Amino acid sequence: MAIDTRSGTPAGGADDQRGADNGPGRPPPERAPVGDSGTAETGDRLVSETGAPSAAPTETDLRFEAEALPWMDDVYRFALSLTRDASDADDVVQETYLRAYRSWHTFEPGSDARRWLFTITRNVFLRSRERERRLVDLDDGDVEALNTFAAHGQMVRDGTDQILSRIDLAPALRRALDELDEPFKSTVLLVDLEDQSYEAAAEILGVPIGTVRSRLFRGRRILQDKLLIYARDAGFTTARRGQRGSTDD
Amino acid sequence: MTDCPREIDCRTAVQQLWDYLDQELTPERMAEVRGHLDRCADCLPHHDYACTFLAALSEARERDVRAPDLLRRRVMDRLRAAGFSA
Repeated sequence: MAIDTRSGTPAGGADDQRGADNGPGRPPPERAPVGDSGTAETGDRLVSETGAPSAAPTETDLRFEAEALPWMDDVYRFALSLTRDASDADDVVQETYLRAYRSWHTFEPGSDARRWLFTITRNVFLRSRERERRLVDLDDGDVEALNTFAAHGQMVRDGTDQILSRIDLAPALRRALDELDEPFKSTVLLVDLEDQSYEAAAEILGVPIGTVRSRLFRGRRILQDKLLIYARDAGFTTARRGQRGSTDD
Repeated sequence: MTDCPREIDCRTAVQQLWDYLDQELTPERMAEVRGHLDRCADCLPHHDYACTFLAALSEARERDVRAPDLLRRRVMDRLRAAGFSA
């Protein structure tokens, strides 16, 4: 996969109040943040043509090591979810970390490094696919929510609401997520699987919170529709009210 | 000032149900939706259905995915080529 190396790094986001809540699975820093040693942090670094580390790591690099590198599993998982291809995910992760390193001077100390890296990951992915970021203008979130639960109401009335309780949802959802189109997929991944708030997802995706909300609700509704199709394909027939329990395979 | 939340109708509750489950509402609106769900037998199944769905979605996260060692080495090689010194 060709990677466009144009800049796509986010602002630091230091004013974020939810930055400390990174969701489950936050790894401990591999190295404690280093105190100010008086090193000028201009973002410029000594370049080693051989790739060999310099004799003494700079404070900036130690901070990058302590705050950015521990998130590589999360970045890889997010990249893999977006690309669904291990090789493409490798490319995205490498490019993400290269951009993150080059832009590390713009990262606001104390803000959410995971969120910052996710923003870069998403930008790298989109540029790699040469997709326009803002693909779809949607109805607002209220309409999406009403549509979702109207559909559920219909399922209750026709007796199909119990279908989802009869299938193993996790693998079915993983399959449905694989098939989910952008921009819904990134939004669902960030909020529902990576535990990001609407505000954080909006920052990562570069869209207003209202857009996150409508994309999220639409994405959830598409997933629910796919689950029903999956359940029916798996042999679960439509149960009529009063006949539940007699139609199990 | 009263502790009783404003009563909202089913449409308003359902419009805000995802936000409620995502804990994205103000405390006042959270209380309004919660109060509606406590007394509305029609909306409670929507809540339960949405909870089941979100729990399953959260479980779908492939928590055991780890960046492969080869990828880690490649990342470090590219960083060091760019001047990373740690």
